[in-house]
Amino acid sequence: MSVNRRTFLKATAAGVGGGMLATQQATAARPRKALDTDISMLNDCTKCIGCRACQSRCKETHGLERSGTDPRFDMPVDLSGRTLTLIKMHKQDDFFTFVKKQCLHCGDPSCVSVCPVSAFEKLDNGVVSYNKNACIGCRYCMIACPWDAPTFEYDKALPVIQKCDFCKEARLAHGLDPACASACPAGAIKYGKRGDLIREAHARIRENPEKYNDHVYGEHELGGTSVLVLAPKEVRFEDLGYKLYGDTPPFRLQEDIQHGIFKYFIPPVALYAVLGFIAYANRRKDNDATKKDDKKG
Amino acid sequence: MEHNSAPMNQRLWTPWFTFGVILIAIGAVLIVYRFIAGLGAVTNLSDGYPWGIWIAFDVVTGVALAAGGFTMAALVYVFNRGEYSPLVRPALLTALLGYAIAATAIVIDVGRWWQIYNPVLPQYWQGNSPLFEVSICVMIYITILIIEFVPVVSEKYKDSKKPFLRSLSNKLGPLVNKYLMVFIILGIVISTLHQSSLGAVMIAAVERIHSLWWSPFLPLMFLISAIAVGFAVVTVESYVAARSFKRPVEKDMLARLAGIIPYVLGIYLVVKLFDLIFYGKIPLIFADWWGLMYIIEMSLLVFIPFFMLLKKSVRFDIGKLLNVSIMMIAGIILNRLNTYLFTYQPRPGETYFPTLVEVLVTAALIALLFVGYKVLASFFPVMSVSTEEK
Repeated sequence: MSVNRRTFLKATAAGVGGGMLATQQATAARPRKALDTDISMLNDCTKCIGCRACQSRCKETHGLERSGTDPRFDMPVDLSGRTLTLIKMHKQDDFFTFVKKQCLHCGDPSCVSVCPVSAFEKLDNGVVSYNKNACIGCRYCMIACPWDAPTFEYDKALPVIQKCDFCKEARLAHGLDPACASACPAGAIKYGKRGDLIREAHARIRENPEKYNDHVYGEHELGGTSVLVLAPKEVRFEDLGYKLYGDTPPFRLQEDIQHGIFKYFIPPVALYAVLGFIAYANRRKDNDATKKDDKKG
Repeated sequence: MEHNSAPMNQRLWTPWFTFGVILIAIGAVLIVYRFIAGLGAVTNLSDGYPWGIWIAFDVVTGVALAAGGFTMAALVYVFNRGEYSPLVRPALLTALLGYAIAATAIVIDVGRWWQIYNPVLPQYWQGNSPLFEVSICVMIYITILIIEFVPVVSEKYKDSKKPFLRSLSNKLGPLVNKYLMVFIILGIVISTLHQSSLGAVMIAAVERIHSLWWSPFLPLMFLISAIAVGFAVVTVESYVAARSFKRPVEKDMLARLAGIIPYVLGIYLVVKLFDLIFYGKIPLIFADWWGLMYIIEMSLLVFIPFFMLLKKSVRFDIGKLLNVSIMMIAGIILNRLNTYLFTYQPRPGETYFPTLVEVLVTAALIALLFVGYKVLASFFPVMSVSTEEK
């Protein structure tokens, strides 16, 4: 039982080769932040009247079933495998705020980083897309998403992960606006380029400072998001379910540590070499001892 | 110290064995139903709690408890501590069964199980994901464990009356033995990688888990605690197997093995204390009930075992040694469940408690470990027997 040098080298070479391929795949050309040219959506809570037309048009467009306890009605309480966007009502004293929930299409998405099979992809136009042919349904994306956006079809035997796809195939491909934006009768959902919408959001705040919370949610949060949110002056974003985050997504640290462990495959290979050397040295010591015993005998 | 391994060839159908087989049968039916009806029909998993006990216990805790396979291999083959070699094959069998069970649990838990092989397809590789690393490593490690088990099987059939089995065993056995070290060391490296990656999985979930359990050092903590508890599992496994097969317990060997544990726990303690102090977490221990949970977990996994196992009187008293080992196992179960489940913050308003089906499937997988061990150790030369006896 000795470490055969040739087999060892072969195994190592195969490992390093595989690792290099994986690294090549991991380095995407797109910068890790939201861009001005990304397609985007500005959800203005001060304009939303809570009619939920966006919600039903979304379900219609994606062919999703009704949700809630009574099958005659569609009354989702939260995002789910059947609900990719919904309006929630927030009550503060006698003041009502309607807030839209959906995938925010991050500039630097956690789901893309954690998915073990590259099922999520940040497209060049800014959409975070999902590929069910890659997905194994492990639901790590749901653990990692800072906004609880991905959901899972628990009621199906052959389920997929569901989340807002920006109507990429159903409407954008045909030159149409996303379903929710086109359905909104109150002008609360504006579809456009991210740079333009950020400028517009700041303009709205500037023109009506008494009406708006002075913050464009999604401009900088965790590298910026494609979906931007404006809130009424009296209402905190945290209370609407939009936590205030820093600029760097938490998975960055995870990637740094993971890449540290696997740096060019040096640490694992070095560990292999060290263990191999210790084993080899110990065995030689043993063999020498046996030889001496033989001579004595 | 010379030793040989031999099949136990004992009566299988004891009452406990029958009970285990019944549990497995119930579990098998429920698993089939899960694949027909979907996860929602049988589990309490939800969009708030994507991971329940199948992941937190069956997979994450199971893999930690199966660490004895690689630690014993490292001890005996790399660090040349041949005196422990009677413990290697039983530990290898435990690891093989433990990983097979964890892999089964993954297949049951993932939604799109028919694509479970996707991580090996190069077009889907994702080097940033700790879970990608875990899935690849677990697949390789199970293969390595099977290869390491080949000599055990071929030993049984090397004098078989069937010419095909005999010639295959006589070819394959020596071939694997010749390159065994390559696989053993690869197995150790792969184990260190995925044991730590299971900790790395939760780093991205910083907003989700309690700060007392979240740390950038999670990978290191998971690795060290798995190594320490690996020895405790070997102790319990060795004791239970000896009792089950009505053989003498290797008391002295287990006592000497237990002498290693305080060193490993000491390192774990240093990392844990550094984490507490450096990130200013000490006030959190006194902040609420989670602080008490942390103290309980640390007492079971580290404080009590560390001081008890320093004492020779404890190590050489098999009853006490067994109690401390079980305490450590309880501690690591608590640690993994705290990290993956108990302190997990779902989206507001969600709760989770496992369904009877989730519990029964878990029970079936645990039963599979004991039943599988008994069957394989009965038919193959796994358990050590002293040379005189043979």
